[in-house]
Amino acid sequence: MSFADAAAVMPPRPRARRDSFTLWITGSAWLSASLAGLILLTLAVQSAPAIRQAGGTMLSVQWLPSAGQYGIIPMVFGSLVVMAIAMTIALPVGVMAAVQLSQIKSLKTRRFVKALLEGLAGIPSIVYGLIGVSFLSVFVADIFDLQTGRVIFTAGLLLSVMILPTILTLSEDAISAVPNALTQNAAALGLYRFEIFRSAVLPSAAPHILGAGLLALGRALGETMAVMLIIGSLDRLPSPLWNVLSSGQTITSKLGREVGESAFGSVHFSALIFSALILVIITLSLTIAAQILFARRAKTIGLLHV
Amino acid sequence: MSRRALSDRAFRLAGYIALGLCLCVLGALLFAIAYAGLKAVSFDFLVMPSKDFGAAGGIRWQIIGSLLMAVTASALVLPFATALAVYRADMARSARVKRFIDLSVFSLNGIPSIAYGLFGLIVFVNILGTGLSWFVGSIILAMMMMPTVTHCALSAMQSLPSGVRENGYALGLTRRAVITRITLPQSLHGIVTGLMIGLARAIGETAPIMFIATAFSGVSLPSGLQGPVSTLPTHILALAQQATNPDALRNAWGASFVLIGLVFLFSTAAFIARTRLNPYSERL
Repeated sequence: MSFADAAAVMPPRPRARRDSFTLWITGSAWLSASLAGLILLTLAVQSAPAIRQAGGTMLSVQWLPSAGQYGIIPMVFGSLVVMAIAMTIALPVGVMAAVQLSQIKSLKTRRFVKALLEGLAGIPSIVYGLIGVSFLSVFVADIFDLQTGRVIFTAGLLLSVMILPTILTLSEDAISAVPNALTQNAAALGLYRFEIFRSAVLPSAAPHILGAGLLALGRALGETMAVMLIIGSLDRLPSPLWNVLSSGQTITSKLGREVGESAFGSVHFSALIFSALILVIITLSLTIAAQILFARRAKTIGLLHV
Repeated sequence: MSRRALSDRAFRLAGYIALGLCLCVLGALLFAIAYAGLKAVSFDFLVMPSKDFGAAGGIRWQIIGSLLMAVTASALVLPFATALAVYRADMARSARVKRFIDLSVFSLNGIPSIAYGLFGLIVFVNILGTGLSWFVGSIILAMMMMPTVTHCALSAMQSLPSGVRENGYALGLTRRAVITRITLPQSLHGIVTGLMIGLARAIGETAPIMFIATAFSGVSLPSGLQGPVSTLPTHILALAQQATNPDALRNAWGASFVLIGLVFLFSTAAFIARTRLNPYSERL
């Protein structure tokens, strides 16, 4: 019997008795595993009234519940713009910091600095919101000479700090996981550090770094408290569209502000839930895409096995 | 200098700037929180109930409410997350089931926190008619902690040397005995670590509980499973929204300082659990 056959037989299979212990474990496990689906289903069912009654008008730019208009485009637009600003700042800074971090020779120092920077992720989002209200929005208002600093740009800036630890940690993991033989070969060929990174590290670590970016995008989209406090909560598209120094609204800030005011069962409530459903579908797709990328990377490394 | 050398210089410089920037941001944030927070925190602030809509007094009930909800949530999540991890590690045979469980755990982790709040609002507060209830808030927080606890427990179970469990089977133990005598005790550090990380995150959450479990003022201890409590994050939210009142803002910073102190406490506990409770730890 080959080794592989033996592995297929092990561990031995005791008789699968339907005793209460097994049932309890199985039941709890399946209940836990079905929670994500349950949340999606609940949101889908609750957004049905809005889809039936408001339908296509939800794809307009007017949100006026009193007039029966539930256009979610300004919120979706706001979410995407805030996410884009946060990513534009956090991705280069995070990846470059990860590169620098992976250069630290002493394992102890590297782990310490990394743990320190992961502390950024430990600050609750409501505290980030408070920082935004008391400091950041004031700075932004001063620098750009605005009446209020509670604008789309401020929200993006604050979010970039909040997603930085995700990008930094996961990118550093990816870079450190690149087999030493690859970088050492490149170094032995006399390449500069930049060239080693570009030709040896990046091709191997890129899928994982991309996955980190996708996870960070999901975080940025779903962040509520900090954004809600500093984006200014204005249900309009900025004019002109690229004016990020005007107040705006994201899906999450809209939900945070308005769910408490809408009556359960009304079209208003249902339209809000519909926008939440869209949000969840986007973030779930990003998370799953990231997991697929992480899994693929593991296989590539396995094949290389140098 | 050659083009190659130049671009290398630029690359190195960018690295230093990026890492320096990250450390500066971290330092500035911690300094701001400590500076603004310590101005408000005193012994009285910790033990007095709040007055004047948070502008005066302390945060006694907020601290107690936060701890009550977070600890209840961890007690609720413990059996379910452990069961899911055990099922995935020891009982699930088909690759498809394993993949489904992994996908479900990752999905749960990817769902934005506000969606959990909406789920609680729809299912518990409205359909089941519980009204505002701190216990419902704990259930929702427990759902949010689930992926973290499951993941940590599962990694500990999977990192057990395979011989340990096989020895148990070879001695004729039933599956139940293998799980309760070998898998669970040997992966205790993973479960505790996951719980502590989950607690550190859950105690700072605002969005999932603000519609379903909390009230701003005039709340002390709930008399039963129903009724709202007041928590640190929702207290900060309410104070931050009256940002023109300097007293309210000062107390918001004080509450933030205490909240971050609690997060730090649970994170440290997680670190200790990971290194000290783990029989196979590298002991950093």
